[in-house]
Amino acid sequence: MGIKPNSENTPSTGGDIKLKSGREGLMGWLNPTRYGWERVSYWLQRLTGVGLLIYFIGHIYETSSLVNGINAWNSMLELTQTTGGHIFLLLVIGASTFHTVNGLRLIFTESGIGIGRPGRPDYPYDATSLNYKQKSGIWVAMLLAAIAMLYGGMVMFGDVS
Amino acid sequence: MPLLKLRESQIMKIHYLTGICAVFFVAIHILFRLIMPFGQSLEFHNVVANYHNMYYVILLELILVFISIHGFNGLRIILIELKQNQWWESTITILVLAAMIGVVAYGTRTIIIGSQL
Repeated sequence: MGIKPNSENTPSTGGDIKLKSGREGLMGWLNPTRYGWERVSYWLQRLTGVGLLIYFIGHIYETSSLVNGINAWNSMLELTQTTGGHIFLLLVIGASTFHTVNGLRLIFTESGIGIGRPGRPDYPYDATSLNYKQKSGIWVAMLLAAIAMLYGGMVMFGDVS
Repeated sequence: MPLLKLRESQIMKIHYLTGICAVFFVAIHILFRLIMPFGQSLEFHNVVANYHNMYYVILLELILVFISIHGFNGLRIILIELKQNQWWESTITILVLAAMIGVVAYGTRTIIIGSQL
């Protein structure tokens, strides 16, 4: 009889006290519910990063059609110059703007800028590092992403150049 | 023994630096699409003309290298956050390095052939 971490491969016996292993894997990574906007920002940064990497690889492949001549280029362009293609580009614009602005906030944070001074932990134990400057940074990143998407939409769907 | 002799703090500095540089270079890259109506700027002859501009070609290569380093290192960071042991970290590092080299090589091929069209 004893306390053992609960492993998926080891079924617990009647006498053991079940404990979680503490590793939540991908689901823990994606769970935005426990830590507020900082957590949302955390996984949005990673989600947009992975999305942009996929777009980047796709963009390099798309551009490589240039070497096969004008017909191959125009065929590839037909795929992307559609309403669906433009909406996808809008998402890329929004993702890249958020990733950039939030990334700059993270660089400042890691340099110790904007996280405040350490203080005595008093109830309700709000971390000084999760202050209004950090939250404003996240909101500014989201706002700028929305503005960039709006401008991108006007360029692609409207007359703005 | 770690596969890369760089400390994680040094890798993060490279990550930040490549990210900041990529923002500036991509901004110039996008401006090239906006100097004329968006659709017109993507016409074959206009794009090929861009590839004949030596400064633009250097810019494209820098974007390719910086974003590849930043993007694949970001992917490595995410994957290492999910699981930690020596085998996993070495395998992920080798895979992202191989993918990074592959993407840079493929993109460089396009830039070289495109500049000779």
